[in-house]
Amino acid sequence: MGEAIIEAKDVEFRYEGAEEDAVAGVSLRVERGEFVAVLGRNGSGKSTLAKLLNALNIPQKGEIWVDGIAAHEEKNSLEVRKRCGMVFQNPDNQIVATVVEEDCAFGLENLGVPPEEIRSRVDRALRDVGMQDYAEAAPHMLSGGQKQRVAVAGVLAMRPKIIVFDESTAMLDPSGRREVFALAEELNRRDGITIVWITHFMDEALRAGRVVVMDAGRIALEGAPRAVFQNPEQIRKMGLDAPPMAQLAAQLRAEGLPLRADIMTVEEMAVELCRLKSVN
Amino acid sequence: MSIEIRELTHIYMPGTPFETRALDNVSLTIHDGDFVGVIGHTGSGKSTLIAHLNALIRPEVGHVVVGGVDVGEKGQSLIEIRREVGLVFQYPEYQLFEETVEKDVGFGPRNLGLDEEAVKTRVREALSQVGMGADALDKSPFELSGGQKRRVAIAGVLAMKPGTLVLDEPTAGLDPAGREELLALIQGIHKSGVTVVMVTHSMDDAARLCNRLIVLNHGRVAFDAAPGEVFRHAEELRQMGLDVPECVKLVQALKARGMDLGDGLYRMEDVRAAIERKVGKC
Amino acid sequence: MLKNITIGQYFPGNSFVHRLDPRTKLLWTVGLIVAVFLSGGFAGFAVIFGYVLLAARMSKIHPRFLIRGLRPVLYIVAFTFLLNIFFQGEGAPLFSWKFITVTDMGLRRAAFLAVRLVLLITASQLLTLTTSAISLTDGMESLMRPLTRLRFPAHEIAMMMSIALRFIPTLMEEADKIMKAQMARGADFESGNLFRRAKAMVPLLVPLFVSAFRRADELAMAMEARCYHGGEGRTRLRQLRYGKNDLCAALSLLALVAVIALFNALGVF
Repeated sequence: MGEAIIEAKDVEFRYEGAEEDAVAGVSLRVERGEFVAVLGRNGSGKSTLAKLLNALNIPQKGEIWVDGIAAHEEKNSLEVRKRCGMVFQNPDNQIVATVVEEDCAFGLENLGVPPEEIRSRVDRALRDVGMQDYAEAAPHMLSGGQKQRVAVAGVLAMRPKIIVFDESTAMLDPSGRREVFALAEELNRRDGITIVWITHFMDEALRAGRVVVMDAGRIALEGAPRAVFQNPEQIRKMGLDAPPMAQLAAQLRAEGLPLRADIMTVEEMAVELCRLKSVN
Repeated sequence: MSIEIRELTHIYMPGTPFETRALDNVSLTIHDGDFVGVIGHTGSGKSTLIAHLNALIRPEVGHVVVGGVDVGEKGQSLIEIRREVGLVFQYPEYQLFEETVEKDVGFGPRNLGLDEEAVKTRVREALSQVGMGADALDKSPFELSGGQKRRVAIAGVLAMKPGTLVLDEPTAGLDPAGREELLALIQGIHKSGVTVVMVTHSMDDAARLCNRLIVLNHGRVAFDAAPGEVFRHAEELRQMGLDVPECVKLVQALKARGMDLGDGLYRMEDVRAAIERKVGKC
Repeated sequence: MLKNITIGQYFPGNSFVHRLDPRTKLLWTVGLIVAVFLSGGFAGFAVIFGYVLLAARMSKIHPRFLIRGLRPVLYIVAFTFLLNIFFQGEGAPLFSWKFITVTDMGLRRAAFLAVRLVLLITASQLLTLTTSAISLTDGMESLMRPLTRLRFPAHEIAMMMSIALRFIPTLMEEADKIMKAQMARGADFESGNLFRRAKAMVPLLVPLFVSAFRRADELAMAMEARCYHGGEGRTRLRQLRYGKNDLCAALSLLALVAVIALFNALGVF
């Protein structure tokens, strides 16, 4: 086992005035450099969990350690947020400034980084997300995918070890989704940034290293995508959809076709069907 | 009542540096009882097209004829066209404004000049069409859940009893269960006799629900045919930045490996049946 | 397509005036206003007018824009002019008709105030035409900073202004969308009397406010996530720096004020 970068122990969180815990006893361990997808229906507690990871929510019970810092203590908020950046769902509502590069600089300005260093870090971050040509553009003129890339650059400039994407592709069109997901994958692979990817899209979850399914404030399933999606019925009960090929595989198996149990992609399905046909 | 679009061209901000040709010589007809899927990436002209369907944009070049009435003609009553063609925008829940669900859903019928009794009946009918009971009537739309708000917003359009319902990405931002639920509702509305035009990014949804697909690319109609026909052109779709349903991909992958399931399959259950026939019976 | 609106009346350019530090321009405008008020007569106005004309030329802003900017205030100028003509009792009468008497003093005073107004407006226009909204905000924040010691919320005000600027296009677009959606439900924003029209705005304003609050909520969260904790210890990417040009501008203005003061001392009006 690798080194843990996020370690949550029996975390409970309840919003003010709510009657139930939004997060009801979650223990989660994320290793350095992992790409973890978090799934769950609306209201399952996944966004609440995300906000616990960078001290936007402080748990009433339990401990959360983020890169060695106690995120369950309010006094550490700034330190935690420096290490664990967050990209939100609505691209319009997280851009603060009227110019792209100024928005990108916002976090660094808050941390009191000297201006020359802000300049070089902002330039670098915009290059890393491929938005250097838009440094002086007005955010409202950009596409949804571009706005999200600017938001990623703003987080990246703070040199975080972890980035949490809270349904950051939910409001984008398919090409914007691909754009932002590919960026997250690249940051994970190239720079070793740990990614926590919250989503409703199963095709994205399929490409994660590990999947965590939340239901009613608890972790209901956890494991490699293949293992988690093997049972489409169970997934459906949690308000989710297994990937189409996993569903098809399950249906064909129910009809008596002896298919391999862990088919997820079109390619795997095609190979398996041809193998079956040649055997018969 | 059918909607006929003839040689429609629309240019935003002509004569400025921002000039964009959103629609370029578009001709198509939406027939009674159709369930049409409108597909295209952002900027392909989808939104401009649907805004023309109920005269939110009046045609400048070309014609839009709704049930025999030319929308572009001067002195045309727009309210009748807007009643006939109901338009549900993206994230319609953000347009709710009244104190109660009843008042909000009744906004449209009241604008039509119906009396209170008729408005009341229509509100109840519309709400039941979206699967909401009378207990919601007195609630504030703002205390409902996200999915419920969206259904109330759709009911607000249904209450005008449109012959055609146009929906712009009705499932955007919903979770899988919410998506399924809403699509089932829309299917039900279609079965009740309403013509449906649905803008969608999901090829799987389009394949499952629509009897006809219109693919827009750079303001032009690239394809206008039955789904099976459209998905035959997988390569061209890919070049437009669009996708094909997973099951179509499977059919193609199998074909490349020498297993031919047959032509024109695009629904998951049909593909499954074909696989069972081919592989299962030996 | 409300996406392409510009905010304020900033006219992009790279002239001498454009390149000045926003703080210089703010102070310069204040100084010019002082000069205008200091000036006791038309001789002073002539000098100031010449000076403003020179500045306008150096800004490479077409005079058409300056004149266009005067148009909305023309009524105010005309009203002040008339008010002063008719209600000035002193001086030798020039013209009399029923209860209206126009005196030489009255005419002089009316012209004086009108010219003063025009000068004031032109000077502030030069500022807003050559300075983008963001650099104005930056300049103001920087100038107000000393006031923070007196618990004046300089940073907060500047932050609010810049966020407002950021969200104006977003909310305009949203208003357009909501309006279209309500029109699709048969709402009529265009006909009827004032009262009916005002009433028709309710379906527009309620969702717009709800959305603005939702956005504010999410934005606050996003700002916090990026370590925002008020103005304390904050640095800025864009540093304001005074240069040689700023010195020139300041000196020229000082010279202008000196000339006006001299006129006053010598009694040249």
